[in-house]
Amino acid sequence: MDKNFQEEFTQIIKFKPPLYKQRHQFVKDLVEKYKPKKVADLGCADCSLLRMLKFCSCIEVLAGLDICASVMKEKMHTLSPLPVDYLQPSERSLTVTLHHGSVAQKDPCMLGFDLVTCIELIEHLEEPELKKFPEVVFGFMAPSIVVISTPNSEFNPLLPGVMLYRHPDHKFEWNQAQFQSWALETARCYDYSVEFTGVGQPPTGMEKAGFCTQIGVFVRKYPQTGESVQSEKPTEAVYKTVFKAVYPSLKDEKYLQNAVISEVIFTAQIIKHRLMSKHEEYGDDPERKSKFQPSMDCFSDYLGKLVVEKNMEPFVSGNEIYIPLATIFSFPKVNRLCGTFEKLRKLIAGKVTLSSDGSAVMFNIEHENEEN
Amino acid sequence: MTGRARARGRPPRQGSALLAVGDAPLRGRRQPPQPLQPPQPQQLHVPPPQSEEPGGHGRLRGFESILQERRPEGLQVSSGLQDLSLRDRGGRRRDFHDLGVNTRQAMVHVQESKTGFSGRMIKLTTNHFRLTSRPQWALYQYHVGYSPEMEARRLRSALLFQHEEHIGKTHAFDGSILFLPKKLENKVTELFSRTRNGEDVKITVTLTNELPPTSPTCLQFYNIIFRRLLKMLNLQQIGRNYYNPSDPVSIPNHRLMVWLGFTSSILQYEENIMLCADVSHKVLRGETVLDTMHSLHSQVGEERFRDTCAKELIGLIVLTKYNNRTYRIDDIDWDNNPKGTFRKSDGSEMSFVEYYKKQYNIEISDWMQPVLISQMKRKRGNIQGPVALIPELCSLTGLTDKMRNDFNMMKDLAIHTRLPPEQRQREIGRLLNYIQKDDNVQKELRNWGLSFDYKSVSFTGRVVQGEKIFQSGNMFDYNPQFADWTKETRGVPLIRAVPVDNWLLIYTRRNYDVANTLLQSLFKVTPSMGIRMNKPNMIEVDDRTEAYLRVLQQRVTPDTNIVFCILSSSRKDKYDAIKKYLCTDCPIPSQCVLARTLSKPQTIMTVATKIALQMNCKMGGELWSVEIPLKQVMIVGIDCYHDTVSGKQSIAGFVASLNQTVTRWFSRCVVQSRGQELVDGIKACLQTALRNWSKWNKCLPSRIFVYRDGVGDGQLNTLVNYEVPQFLDCLKSIGTDYSPRLTVIVVKKRVGARFFAEIGGGLRNPPPGTVVDTVVTRPEWYDFFIVSQTVKNGCVAPTHYNVIYDTSQLKPDHVQRLTYKLCHMYYNWSGIIRVPAPCQYAHKLAFLVGQSIHREPNLMLSDRLYYL
Repeated sequence: MDKNFQEEFTQIIKFKPPLYKQRHQFVKDLVEKYKPKKVADLGCADCSLLRMLKFCSCIEVLAGLDICASVMKEKMHTLSPLPVDYLQPSERSLTVTLHHGSVAQKDPCMLGFDLVTCIELIEHLEEPELKKFPEVVFGFMAPSIVVISTPNSEFNPLLPGVMLYRHPDHKFEWNQAQFQSWALETARCYDYSVEFTGVGQPPTGMEKAGFCTQIGVFVRKYPQTGESVQSEKPTEAVYKTVFKAVYPSLKDEKYLQNAVISEVIFTAQIIKHRLMSKHEEYGDDPERKSKFQPSMDCFSDYLGKLVVEKNMEPFVSGNEIYIPLATIFSFPKVNRLCGTFEKLRKLIAGKVTLSSDGSAVMFNIEHENEEN
Repeated sequence: MTGRARARGRPPRQGSALLAVGDAPLRGRRQPPQPLQPPQPQQLHVPPPQSEEPGGHGRLRGFESILQERRPEGLQVSSGLQDLSLRDRGGRRRDFHDLGVNTRQAMVHVQESKTGFSGRMIKLTTNHFRLTSRPQWALYQYHVGYSPEMEARRLRSALLFQHEEHIGKTHAFDGSILFLPKKLENKVTELFSRTRNGEDVKITVTLTNELPPTSPTCLQFYNIIFRRLLKMLNLQQIGRNYYNPSDPVSIPNHRLMVWLGFTSSILQYEENIMLCADVSHKVLRGETVLDTMHSLHSQVGEERFRDTCAKELIGLIVLTKYNNRTYRIDDIDWDNNPKGTFRKSDGSEMSFVEYYKKQYNIEISDWMQPVLISQMKRKRGNIQGPVALIPELCSLTGLTDKMRNDFNMMKDLAIHTRLPPEQRQREIGRLLNYIQKDDNVQKELRNWGLSFDYKSVSFTGRVVQGEKIFQSGNMFDYNPQFADWTKETRGVPLIRAVPVDNWLLIYTRRNYDVANTLLQSLFKVTPSMGIRMNKPNMIEVDDRTEAYLRVLQQRVTPDTNIVFCILSSSRKDKYDAIKKYLCTDCPIPSQCVLARTLSKPQTIMTVATKIALQMNCKMGGELWSVEIPLKQVMIVGIDCYHDTVSGKQSIAGFVASLNQTVTRWFSRCVVQSRGQELVDGIKACLQTALRNWSKWNKCLPSRIFVYRDGVGDGQLNTLVNYEVPQFLDCLKSIGTDYSPRLTVIVVKKRVGARFFAEIGGGLRNPPPGTVVDTVVTRPEWYDFFIVSQTVKNGCVAPTHYNVIYDTSQLKPDHVQRLTYKLCHMYYNWSGIIRVPAPCQYAHKLAFLVGQSIHREPNLMLSDRLYYL
């Protein structure tokens, strides 16, 4: 190739954002579009794609597979739940699992996925593995959608320094025709439709070279019957699980109960606090009054409206304050967590001190007055 | 990785289309742009996202990692631990254990032995566990060089680890230093690797050191390995410690959550290398900063909202929703909001809302909230300087001062955090159990040739005899179990009772009755103490700060002995104003009491007694004494207070004894802004203290003991090499023929060690007076522990004393006894306290000045305990 020509492109070919980010963004957009619940990344390497996908709120099961356990382990802890995930458990449930194994082998843990991504994977496969790959991914795993990306060799001349392949470990790099014929054949064989696209736009005037990374998006034509899986003889587990993280979720009764109790008591405390400060406003402490001047936040407004309603008014009796459960239940946060009043009662039973008829949260204020 | 393994999956570092991008433009692009945009006064960053960290599937990764890696100089450890790094290297982090500060070698008289002998023996166990290694164990340190030079740490590791068959599977590597548990065949090993773009690299691995198990580097290494083990056990790191998230205790009343965790340190102790493990509790708040802001708003209203937020929130540590880092809130930017923009590392502008949506799929719901600012002290990746945080995405950790003052909250917390000895030891046992049971952890330990004794260390300590309390010719014993002599000394004349002839009693109208009750009670309790008390000037004021100040300005005369104020609320501003005026402008002792404290008839006599004693001390009185056998001795106590809220100021309290019985004290303090050295001021204090001592005793002291509190982890070196020489300098400056014997003792209250007495088959807190100077002390120090106080619940914390300089020639036993005696001399508590009285006085003084006065009080007051 002409030396000047090459130098010219050294200046030109700069992807922004970087190409790997574009590939990730591509997958993320796909997830946004199809809202899959279960996603597997084959050849997940250092889990960077998984780390991005864990923030996608539609995903409930996330799995990674790689042939190299040590590279997965290197950063796998970043897939663990964060302290805040425990403090404020989310609505959705999420399980992240990492498996050590080969894409040329079948393992039942890969069944039932909605989306399987193979980003820059196939070009690392030796011929025997590449042969088995379609059967494992399309035949066995049979997800609704498969994304496969691979280098486009027609783009290589535009990249300086690329002798044969872009990476010494690549076993092959296909041109557009090669990839498309492989993809079409695979799609035909397993009843998928396939569309081709890519990331990394070629420079103007070189459009024929195609995208730097070519991508095939495979969509299964017919919904899975379930029989195909059962008809096969049960496969044995061959992958080794190297990491598993179950995120705290409100779907888990334990976390839901904690959240509800905490919210109920906290709400009740606020109402109590307001009730008591109201009482004190009649005192003669001038500073106290100014301290509790009416504030304009929505919470107090809301509370103001509420207490007008009958039967929901909190009241003081001797050293005890009663705050009706119905009042607490009407708070949006509690309401959203519990759904029904019955559920609320069930969840807080035995955990929160209630009045004798169980209709109100009760606080004893005797001791507090002494120390405050 | 073999070629075969590589073939079947996507290998870690593979080719990419980005080969075309040269290093230089990329690196240039990554650097934060220099010129700042005019609308933004300072360049804000958002916390570095995880997903932006080395995550690319390409060659870029190597370079990104060196620029974005959190711990660029990290040390990688094998077997699934690679995600951590040794960041202690290169002086980036303080040496928290003060390793390598060997002070004992300079003190000849304790070379042989530093143990005392008095007292009775007591069987103790502790929270230390022996670390054992194979015989002849050593850690082999190698230097790893690359030719051509490779810059990226990740690339360097990747290239090196291609040769696992040579170096073995167990290794720790930080990019240039390699640690191995075994010795390679040759001193110099040459290895050849190829980078992904086909470049051949020669790696030279040279043995530089054979580290014995006790070398400081090795100890550092153990600690890092151990923290990794904790991580392998799926414990969550928050700050310096590790916590178990799966079994939290929630305290819904206060919206708190408590996580149980562990602190750990591995150090060379007297005879063995041991792990010191203790239970740690992390208080987390089940609400976001935004939630807290909302509730503050509803509590204080619009007018005081911002001030209150600043007061409550600044200085707190937050966790974020999207990464596992902690940030300190340094400021709140009220003029900014989530719609505001920041400059990304590539120079483009982006709004917070957009950023969090794009990066983490997080929708920020409140677009009007302000933005929190955190200053990064250390460079983290390519981020330095202020970082912007969104309140909605931050969770609070820890307790605020307000919460600490909330009696109910602390009571509720104490149930969970104050573990009695048995339970505490059981929890620590659980950690050891996890370690013992986990296969991966065991494998890692085995690979390094290390293991633990899973039974804690037992040894004998001594309980020194209780002190006799002397008060005006009377002598008392106290019950050592309670370490308190309130009852014994009740109704006994004080050593020196200062008459209260002329004093003011200031109160608000509604506290008139309270004032009278107090007065009657004082008249009842003072005669038996020997205090002569006249009727005060009773002054009624409005409950406003200005009203109090006006009264003080008009009514305080030079003859006034003391001013007594009854305050109706614990509002700090009023208290501060009174104290400030009476400590600086008009130096008169003052006593402030909350009306509520006096309102209970059943306790008024006890309260009045305590107040009378306190007033007496503030006017220069003396209460009791213990026998101090040393003659011509001056005892000094120093403690520091760091003002975290308004920042910038540090205050050192300095207290020195004035008389033989150590019942009178000279007190001064040093107010220093940030960056200045406290020791210069301390030197001046020492000089005036000596002058005062000689005024009182007609000679200079022949012995000086300095009890130095307020020394942080890792500051010992500075103390030894800078502060002590300054003390010596100061003594020299007094006169050429003056050379007193000096002893400097570092007092540390926050130590990991806990002792349990084996009594009746169970574990109890050791009794006051328990001295430990073997097994768990450090060989390179002249140090000991004393348990001097008692606690009602939980575990008693021993105080660590480290004698860093000593020309006294006293036996260790005498230094220990003197120290224990001084714990009896704090006049605000008729019992034994945790630290020597001068330290507590110095603390009290520094706290008052730091919290309320903010400048040095008038020296007229310096011969009295006016700050009690």
